Amino acid sequence: MIPVSSHGKPSPGGLSEPEQRTATRLCVETGILLLQHGAESALVETVTRRLGLALGVERMEIAILANAIVVTSLSERHCITTVRRNVDRGVNMHMVTEVQRAMLDVEAGRLDVTGYEARLAAIRPLRYPRWLVSLMIGLSCACFARLAKADLPGCGLAFVAATAAMYIRLFIAQLHFNPLVNFFVSAFVATSISGQGVLHKIGAKPEIAMATCVLLFVPGFPLINSVSDMVKGYMNTGLSRGMGALLLSAATCAGILLAMSVWHLWGWL
Amino acid sequence: MNLFPGLLENMVLAAIPAVGFGLVFNVPRHALIYCALGGAIGRGGRFLLMGTLDMPLAWATLLAAAAVSLLGVYVAQRMRAHPKVFTVAAMIPMIPGVPIFKALIAVAQMQEKGTTDELLATALQSGLTAGFVVAALAIGLAVPGLLFYRRRPVV
Repeated sequence: MIPVSSHGKPSPGGLSEPEQRTATRLCVETGILLLQHGAESALVETVTRRLGLALGVERMEIAILANAIVVTSLSERHCITTVRRNVDRGVNMHMVTEVQRAMLDVEAGRLDVTGYEARLAAIRPLRYPRWLVSLMIGLSCACFARLAKADLPGCGLAFVAATAAMYIRLFIAQLHFNPLVNFFVSAFVATSISGQGVLHKIGAKPEIAMATCVLLFVPGFPLINSVSDMVKGYMNTGLSRGMGALLLSAATCAGILLAMSVWHLWGWL
Repeated sequence: MNLFPGLLENMVLAAIPAVGFGLVFNVPRHALIYCALGGAIGRGGRFLLMGTLDMPLAWATLLAAAAVSLLGVYVAQRMRAHPKVFTVAAMIPMIPGVPIFKALIAVAQMQEKGTTDELLATALQSGLTAGFVVAALAIGLAVPGLLFYRRRPVV
């Protein structure tokens, strides 16, 4: 667009061009942070738009693609458009909460542009320790086994298999392997461990442990986000999230099948 | 009255995985308690609806998810965070994990050993259950937005 108003000077009522540029950049950074950490599309769009309006932009247009976000701000007949590629950083609700709270503070007038920028840069995503997550996931899978009417040895088997698998999954994720490879390998380990229970007849129904110890690989967040995106009209992100979840499940399934044929287990189908 | 032990067991056994997966999703520490409560209310509600009213699985899941989501809005407004931050982890105990893998394994076996009636039935039945329950969970969570917060944000 041809610059109509003068550069650098704040025009009456609106933002100057550098100000608008800063606001747009902050908005797209906000949007991409939310998208990277597993927020649903509707939330990404509303938070980004509200931030832009709170920073003084007249109108905000946000397009969310499967792996990118486009933000256009309109102010004083000037458009600024910018795109950011999205790399999945793993679900992190702490990050989503902190970003949204910072936006709410801007909206309430407690933060200005520089304050918001500093706040955004200062957020360190929370990560729970690996041993704690692994133990809790082991306990969770033991609960699932109990819900499926497993006896105590069966629950113990699910606990051991799921704890080990979760630890391996977090370890492999840290080495930046493709998640599909990660899920395949970890599911193989989980089924191999719980399969020993079937081979050595631990408890009354060790097959239940075999079926429940892989529940830590169900991509629950992407599945729910996928459907809610589609319900709220974000077809493309919904479809791509759904497909991603299906692929992860298929990789897990391949790991289970490999373990079943290695150990000759055809129990729980 | 004899539903009570089952209800209690369901609620306790659902609260633990909700917190466990809350850790995987890096839910802030002060919100983990709401993951546990949501998980217990969701799974317990579904158990009651199916046990007393003989409601089908998908409909019971929808109502339970909607109830958790409505309570989640109340908490979220006090916490200044989007309800999905803790309600999705609360839905994890109701996610149909076993049917998803059952369906996929049946499909893989159909490819390997040829299609039999049993394999086809397992694949279809489990796949449909998984699809319907996941849809029920997501739509249930969207209920406050669809019914009450139509043109305004929850937080």
